[in-house]
Amino acid sequence: MLRFFILFLVVQATLFGLELTPPAQHWFVEPWTYALAQISTAIVTFFDPNVVAIGKVMRSTRNGFAVSIEAGCNGVEATIVLIAAMLAFPAPWKNKLVGLAAGIVAVQGLNILRVISLFYLGQWDYKVFEWAHLYVWQALIMLDVLVVWLIWVRTLPGARDDRAPPSPPAVATASA
Amino acid sequence: MSRSSPTGIARSPLARFIVTVLAWLPVTFAVWYVVAPVLIFVVKFLCMLAVLPLGDLVSEVEQNGASLLFVTTLRGGQAAQAGGVVSVSVNGLLYSFGMPMFAALTLAAREPGRWVILVLGIVALLPFAAFGVVADFLKNVAITSGPLVASQTGFSAAQRELIAFAYQFGTLIMPTVTPAIAWVVTHRGFLERMRGLTAPR
Repeated sequence: MLRFFILFLVVQATLFGLELTPPAQHWFVEPWTYALAQISTAIVTFFDPNVVAIGKVMRSTRNGFAVSIEAGCNGVEATIVLIAAMLAFPAPWKNKLVGLAAGIVAVQGLNILRVISLFYLGQWDYKVFEWAHLYVWQALIMLDVLVVWLIWVRTLPGARDDRAPPSPPAVATASA
Repeated sequence: MSRSSPTGIARSPLARFIVTVLAWLPVTFAVWYVVAPVLIFVVKFLCMLAVLPLGDLVSEVEQNGASLLFVTTLRGGQAAQAGGVVSVSVNGLLYSFGMPMFAALTLAAREPGRWVILVLGIVALLPFAAFGVVADFLKNVAITSGPLVASQTGFSAAQRELIAFAYQFGTLIMPTVTPAIAWVVTHRGFLERMRGLTAPR
């Protein structure tokens, strides 16, 4: 457990430090944040055509309300935490790679829901938007990371599958 | 085509745990919001200890609900002309919102002695909240307040870089990761049962 925590903290701090460097911001974080605004807007336009994405901003053409996706809201930090938790945990590399692929999709999927929900909460009530933005969604995203990690840990070799039928009792029977 | 029964979800201990955590979250968030001034009162003293090595940079730390006001000895801009000093207000809620998450996880796990774990966990998280608050204050005076104020702090370029990193880490990572770590550390037996490595209680 100690090895896991040390590795987790080292990987997390390293990835976070890398994320803050100008090249990582320029080549990865900014394009991803722009893409996130585009994806969120594309989903929203299925039921609300009055929304446009300009860079990392989602804007309503009906009332002018806009949200800008900033650091902490693009899911990059949550993804870094998930990567660190999976890399630090003792598991075969194949499981780590599959877990990372599925986990990143799960975390970013919920993050898209966060962006869209905040976009509409802000138009409805700014106080509720502030609460959801600053506190509730932050906690929910980290909860998502924790749940994804727990699910992944349960799929690792050695973990028991609760869905499997119980084994019959080990009673010795003699056949005549 | 297979169909999953509704009882299948109810039977999964992980699914049951997640549903229970989500049910606890509104309660723990409400309690956290109500008791936040008490928590921030403790954070205030930790902040006062943390700024001691900075000499006379901070003359006072005042509490206003869940916010902390750092009154400095720095002068700048219009404040200097008026004979005033720079003060920085930091919202303590921004650095303690992981506590209701820790509480919901702890209460949902239903481990023996969970109330003791809950109190000890919250106490253990307070210094991390103080770290975020102090890093926020330092970022304000050393970076965002402009060169006139920043030059009075005496921080070197390397120290300002460190403050920027501490602020980012204290804002984006710490408030949510430290409660998760605290919960994992205090629920190792629960996690092993979740993983199926030990028999359920």
